[in-house]
Amino acid sequence: MKVLDVQNLSVQYHTGQGHRQALDEVSFSVEKGGIAGIVGESGSGKSTAMLAVMGLLAENADVTADAIAVCGQQVVPGRDIAMVLQDSLSCLNPTVKIGRQITETIRAHKNCTRQEARERAEELLDLVGIRNPAQRMRQYPFELSGGMRQRTAIAIALACEPKLIIADEPTTALDAAVQAQIILLLRRIVQDTGTSLLVVSHDMGVIAALCSRVYVMQSGRIIEQGTAEEIFYSPQQEYTKKLLRDARGIQRLRTGEKDSEVLLRLEHVTKVFDTKEGIRDISLEIRKGEIYALAGESGSGKTTLARILTGLLKPDSGRISYKGETLDAGTQAGIRQGKIQMVFQDPYGSLNPCLTAGQALSEALKALSGTQGGMTPRERRRKAEEMLCMVGLSAEDADRYPEEFSGGERQRIGIARALISEPELLICDEALSALDAATRSQILELLLSIQKKRKIACLFISHDLALIRKISSRISVLYQGRLAETGDTREVCSDPWHPYTKLLLNAAPQPDLLKARRTRPVLPAETGQEKGSRGCPFAEACGYTMKCCYNEVPGSYSFGSRKTACFLYSEEHTGKRAEGYQMTSQI
Amino acid sequence: MLGYTLKRLATGLVSLFVLATVTFFLVRLIPGSPFQNGGVSDQVVEAVEEEYGLNEPLFDQYLTYMGNLVHGDLGVSYQEPDTAVAEIIGRTWPVTVSLGLAALLAAVVLGTGLGILRAVSKSRIVREGILAGGMLAAGIPNFAVAILLLLVFSVKLGWFPAAGLLTPAHYVLPVISLALYPAAVISRLTGNTLSAELGKQYVLFARAKGLGRGRIIFTHALKNAWIPVLNYVGPASAFLLTGSFVVESIFTIPGLGREFVSSITNRDYTLILGLTVFMGMVVILVNLVTDLICAWMDPRMRRSYRGR
Repeated sequence: MKVLDVQNLSVQYHTGQGHRQALDEVSFSVEKGGIAGIVGESGSGKSTAMLAVMGLLAENADVTADAIAVCGQQVVPGRDIAMVLQDSLSCLNPTVKIGRQITETIRAHKNCTRQEARERAEELLDLVGIRNPAQRMRQYPFELSGGMRQRTAIAIALACEPKLIIADEPTTALDAAVQAQIILLLRRIVQDTGTSLLVVSHDMGVIAALCSRVYVMQSGRIIEQGTAEEIFYSPQQEYTKKLLRDARGIQRLRTGEKDSEVLLRLEHVTKVFDTKEGIRDISLEIRKGEIYALAGESGSGKTTLARILTGLLKPDSGRISYKGETLDAGTQAGIRQGKIQMVFQDPYGSLNPCLTAGQALSEALKALSGTQGGMTPRERRRKAEEMLCMVGLSAEDADRYPEEFSGGERQRIGIARALISEPELLICDEALSALDAATRSQILELLLSIQKKRKIACLFISHDLALIRKISSRISVLYQGRLAETGDTREVCSDPWHPYTKLLLNAAPQPDLLKARRTRPVLPAETGQEKGSRGCPFAEACGYTMKCCYNEVPGSYSFGSRKTACFLYSEEHTGKRAEGYQMTSQI
Repeated sequence: MLGYTLKRLATGLVSLFVLATVTFFLVRLIPGSPFQNGGVSDQVVEAVEEEYGLNEPLFDQYLTYMGNLVHGDLGVSYQEPDTAVAEIIGRTWPVTVSLGLAALLAAVVLGTGLGILRAVSKSRIVREGILAGGMLAAGIPNFAVAILLLLVFSVKLGWFPAAGLLTPAHYVLPVISLALYPAAVISRLTGNTLSAELGKQYVLFARAKGLGRGRIIFTHALKNAWIPVLNYVGPASAFLLTGSFVVESIFTIPGLGREFVSSITNRDYTLILGLTVFMGMVVILVNLVTDLICAWMDPRMRRSYRGR
């Protein structure tokens, strides 16, 4: 039986400039208790289709359809169909408590008392795997982690026992480890409650992990449909094949340049905060011209580390040296100026809206004029235009303001701004995560080509392991402010040594039906290590814990180019090593 | 939260001290003596000045005044020799407050209402009309509004009384002239912020939850939209609660604003100082209350106060 039946749905937008066809006679359906998926790149009309089904499109949209029905009846949003959106922070009201955001949904559709609604809300939170629901209900969205918020959003969606849940990119904004938890949760909920699920995603991995029926969408049309097996094993359309190829393509884009000069070296750098993430005892070195990746989930201290490297924060202890010269408060400014630059995550927030692109770029040059000899405004302007051309914009764009550019174009400006002072080390802090998939690959290509041409070292900070795997030569995995593992990217990814690395690598959804559907261990939802615990930060969630893991923090054990912070590799555990001993993975 | 409030009160006291000091010396720069008057001889002026201690060194006078101020004594008015400054404030402030609160209420209700209407109305005429009306209201200075209202509704039509503040009908014209500008600003701000809030994801999500339109606007969007508006409402209410000289003069209302201006023309040192310190206190308290209301509405702000 079909729970959702959509026949020949078309949507046309009326704008000042005329009409735009967003959807063209799209038909799809979801079986009772089944999981269907719509896959396509951003801009293909996936979200428009979902909003049209919910009846939530803006007023300038003209919707026509032969049928949009839930179990043969008209749709009542919230009761028949519930929605889970991509960004759980922006879809929860920041100034209303979690509990109330759940109970109001219940009370909007059911006739019940406050007390009953509250009890039901606690039940729902418990169902989606949130501990201490009564306490959580009194908290505000910003007090929860990304994964917790997405769980809350799912609880809200479940509030009125909907016949169908539409999940629009439900895991895109999350770290791999949390992503795996949410996928598992969605699958469990469909099994336990008997609701149906419609997943909308650009990620073939998510689709593979969840869906039994798949629709492929391109520019407002459904170009291919079939069971998951049909789509993944014998795709007919060229576009579907390309999507699968892109998703699977772990073709390595580059290899590291080994044995070159060490550019930046960190020794036992520590920075601790009272409230937020800090980093402890970080040692690593970045060589000239290489792409070094720093992986870890949010809250692991990646951003703190980036800020220390750019001099925005001062470490509490430890030594940072640049080309062998120690950087301290005195020499920092002089050496760093222009030599270490940063590309930020948010292309909207990191450009001053009052400055044109050209002004933003020449400002970066002006800051340098002290060390590089003054440049005239005309020279600066010419250089700025040159840079804009290099990142794929035009010289005329120098006079435009940030708001006139798209997200991808702004990120290009951000890159140009970082490169204009001819740095030797570029720090990219999640520089691609705010962009959609298509733009992301364009910007990545741009970054890589510039990096290659100019032989700039690049520290690539990301939670996206698939991406890191593709581009970096060496990798450090960060967990709760400490380095779990460091080594050659290919070695670490194919043969992880640290239990956390293994879990992280397994967590990333893969565009492969068999692998994606295999049940794998995931990180527990709330790993919250109690404050003042003396042991390894990963001990709570680790499957290999020994007694010492709870009492001591493991040191860093080095074997050739690889380092790992796990007791499994200590001499106490594996015994004394002879000369030339080859360590292998202990897990 | 309590710690934050206490801290703000302490800094408020420091501000008051600085305010009193600066005003004390500035007032003395006004040429002439408080007792100089066409028909009074120089000897009499000197004698009276001696009685009030005005012939002592300026710094000694300052110390005496601050000493009294610490004990809550604002001194005695020079113009009305038997009345304490505190008594004058006690007499005039209730008048100003009743007028100010009425105007504040009118401005908030009218401004928010029109702002909401502008943000949610589907009719272009309504939206543009409110915007244009708001600009017009914000563009006319309040003395012009007051005189115009007085002329039309009191003198020509005789609907409302022209002077004093005895009956509710007396309130209508001064309240309108006081509330018009803040109402226009509040309506513009509310309209803008509410439109922005209504475009956000959580509103879309609330619609997907099946909540009614009224509930989405009033319990979800308006709360977030009003946080920035409060930053204007705070100082505006401080202005309304300390009295407007123009409006009080035109409608002959015996309020704080009128008293303040006449104290300056009379060179009534203690009264000027007393009123300044009092108004400073009102402004500081109103701003504190505004910030506390903001914190109550916005949990993120509340948390940022907790550490301080």
